Amino acid sequence: MKKELYDLADRAIKIAKAAGADDCRVSINGERFVEISYRERQPEGIKEATSRGLQVEIFVNKRYSLQATSDLRPQALKSFIEKAVASTRLLEEDPLRTLPDPKYYQGRKTLDLKQYDPDYKKLTPESRHSFVRAIEESCLAKGGDKVISVSASGYDSYSEQVLMASDGFDGYVEYTAFYGAAEMTAKDEGDRRPAEYNVAIAMIRKDLPRPEEIGAEAASRTLSLLGAKKIKTETLPIIIENRVASQVAGGLLQAMSGRSIQQKQSFLADKKGQKVGSEKLTLIDDPFIPGGLGSRTFDGQGIAAKKMVMIEAGVLREFYVDWYYGRKLGWEPTTGSPSNLVIPAGKRSVKEIMKDLGRGIFVTGFIGGNSNSTTGDFSIGIIGQFFEKGEIVHPVSEMNIADNHLKFWPRLVEAANDPYPYSQMRFPSLVFSDVVVSGL
Amino acid sequence: MKIITRRSFIKTGATAVAGTIAASTFLPKGWSAFARKDASGYFEQEFGISDELCRKVLSAALSKGGDFADLFFEHTISNSLILEDGKVNRAACEVALGVGIRTVKGDQVGYGFTQELSEEAMLAAASTAATIASASGKKPASKFVPPKTENYYPVTTLLSSVPLESKLPLVRAVNEKCFSLSPQVRKVMVNFYDQERRLLVVTSDGIKAEDLQPRSYLSSTVVAEKDGRWERSGWNYGGRRDFSYYTPALVQELAQKAVDRTLVLFEAIQPPAGEMPVVLGPGVTGVLLHEAIGHGMEADFNRKKISTYCTMLGKKVAEPFVTIIDDGTVPYLTGSINFDDEGTPAQKTILVDKGILTSYLHDRISAHSYGVKSTGSGRRQSYQHYPIPRMRNTYMLGGEASPEDVIKAAGNGIYVQDVANGQVKIGEGDFAFYVSQGRLIQNGKLGAPIKDVNIMGNGPKMLANIIMVAKDFEFAQGGGGSCGKGGQAVPVGFGQPTCLVKSLTVGGVRG
Repeated sequence: MKKELYDLADRAIKIAKAAGADDCRVSINGERFVEISYRERQPEGIKEATSRGLQVEIFVNKRYSLQATSDLRPQALKSFIEKAVASTRLLEEDPLRTLPDPKYYQGRKTLDLKQYDPDYKKLTPESRHSFVRAIEESCLAKGGDKVISVSASGYDSYSEQVLMASDGFDGYVEYTAFYGAAEMTAKDEGDRRPAEYNVAIAMIRKDLPRPEEIGAEAASRTLSLLGAKKIKTETLPIIIENRVASQVAGGLLQAMSGRSIQQKQSFLADKKGQKVGSEKLTLIDDPFIPGGLGSRTFDGQGIAAKKMVMIEAGVLREFYVDWYYGRKLGWEPTTGSPSNLVIPAGKRSVKEIMKDLGRGIFVTGFIGGNSNSTTGDFSIGIIGQFFEKGEIVHPVSEMNIADNHLKFWPRLVEAANDPYPYSQMRFPSLVFSDVVVSGL
Repeated sequence: MKIITRRSFIKTGATAVAGTIAASTFLPKGWSAFARKDASGYFEQEFGISDELCRKVLSAALSKGGDFADLFFEHTISNSLILEDGKVNRAACEVALGVGIRTVKGDQVGYGFTQELSEEAMLAAASTAATIASASGKKPASKFVPPKTENYYPVTTLLSSVPLESKLPLVRAVNEKCFSLSPQVRKVMVNFYDQERRLLVVTSDGIKAEDLQPRSYLSSTVVAEKDGRWERSGWNYGGRRDFSYYTPALVQELAQKAVDRTLVLFEAIQPPAGEMPVVLGPGVTGVLLHEAIGHGMEADFNRKKISTYCTMLGKKVAEPFVTIIDDGTVPYLTGSINFDDEGTPAQKTILVDKGILTSYLHDRISAHSYGVKSTGSGRRQSYQHYPIPRMRNTYMLGGEASPEDVIKAAGNGIYVQDVANGQVKIGEGDFAFYVSQGRLIQNGKLGAPIKDVNIMGNGPKMLANIIMVAKDFEFAQGGGGSCGKGGQAVPVGFGQPTCLVKSLTVGGVRG
């Protein structure tokens, strides 16, 4: 299919240029996926399709627009792009909107990022169904008589992407993706029916846990929520579990984008070179992790990927600056978006840390909440386990934490030894001191 | 890649989304034909989708049996026109064209979709969908009939037929007005978004429903600086509106609201933490209903016994002055639909009638399983998804009290003006909603402004704790309300009178 996508990209560029565009950049995505879900030992849904999408960015007479379509009939596409070029001319001038200086394309690595699983082709309807059935069975078994409902699902896809620009840039990516998931709802007191899920995602199928583990973990996570209650509002240490730590870090990342900074919507705008977190906070953007969900050799603008230390021992070193906002700010572009993010793991397990802390909350999920990128304030509901004397006492619900990122990250006291592999954000569990946890 | 989880979330605003939502403003010439207001016959004329072809594809979808099959054709065009740093210098347009084919057997679904509306591609997708069943084939109805419904969004001037030159001054006017209102305004971003969703639903039991769903909003994000501090807020107006809605007066009001809401944040504090009385102001705070009860009443969750409400039908859940409705028939509101994405005419569904839990929200599958009629709640994000029970516009009817008396009755607590987003855990009934703006209530009076606080509660407990409802009911007039469930986003609306909830957990900063 690679040649087809290249031909289509080439055709789109030719149409745009013929219609008068000075430059353009085309991105085409083709995907084939199968998704199967089971409930009560029967298929609940089977979904499968092949799809394609084309996106074209048009630069004409110092004006810019972004167009996307799934209608790829040759005449429809031609007419779509021609009209788009004509309409783009009617916008206001913005001389900073151009393709990047080609020097930023240079230095692109040629390495195998292990994002394509050759075994993908060996999948059969039977192997897909048996994978999901195994997830369901293990969840039902582990959940036992507490089970009200279990849903299990499996997904696989094969994708190709081409990025091509009128200045000669081209890039191609081929990748597979797989996930297995289960969600269980359990009987609890009164009308409470706690539910929790577990999902593992990987680009190489054998990197997934065994289906039995995926299902059993969904059940244990659900069972751990039985009997949840609120405790009194209190200032406590909290441990944020590896798989959900990314949600809090998201508030930092939002404020690290060139657009946020240029639009005066970033509390980090003037903090480069300054301390924004404790010594324990090091944040690395690593695009070259084999099999990483965010691995890449170039970004959406064609800028060659490089490994960057974003925050080093608490000191803010880099921002996510794309070509356009870089020009607006007068800064060197880095890259427009995160690839894989890593916070180095520590030495101790969550269990050992809990023992040491004595009393606190182990946060295993969030609910609602938001973060204000302009001020750094955030407030978010938590789901998790209250522990005392180093042992889990009971789950908590209807509780919340609120803070400001510039005050919160300096209280990161430890990273555990458990980096989470099934995410673009490979974070270990993170320990924060003195957090106001609101409840009763 | 989409991850399936039953958690649902919502966003109310259109102010901060311009980076992610494609939008744009120009339509290919061929589209000017779109100005035709009558929706019927569109897919046949433009893409040659005849009844005969539909029958053929439906036969393929039922080639292995099944209860019924349906085809969902969609042609959606979304446009954004964006102003940043004083210039309308970015536009975006997205065209989605495709058909989804579904075969249903009991509560099991087979689904395939294709972006090519050729007979060959559709038959292939239909044979994918058919695999859910394993019996002998069935024949679809010999005749397709349109459902009877009103038009809840009779538009006269579709935004797509409005030339760019006519939209530009409006966008510029919002920018200029915002800057003129305060010297503290430093940045303004404006987004003029419009969408036209053409859809055709054809079912094996003989329904043929064709519609044009317009949707648009004009949003303004404002960043201001005062004494070295920065704050951001914004506002948006919209709905299933046409161009005539966006008057100079509306532009004035939009700018005023966006600027006022930003400047007040310089005085705002994060409130204390803990349980306290909460007063919801009128309008968008209806998000609380959406989370606290709406999702839990979606029948798929109840059919599977995974909603906290699954055993409460017919029971008293709130005081007699509490009536909560989910309604697809409110003129021009974002969540309104003439019929749902399964071809069932739009309805007004009473969820809680004077304190008694009365009806779930049904799609065809759940209605069949409960032996009731669909409530017209089967909705989907696009042709790439199969429908599930969803909300439309969710609101509580007004009561007798004056808003001042409600605030007075709260004593000490907080007053919620604006809600940015929310989320619920269906099984526990635990929900959260994020208050972007509100006030403290001290000794029965409104006090200092507050901001950025998440509020937590439990659905059934919250319903029982609604102790006072005022007569100032309002629908939220924003056009950006969007609800996510199972990886699918659909537009929704809200309404709410001022009301007092005895106690909720406020996620503040001090113990």
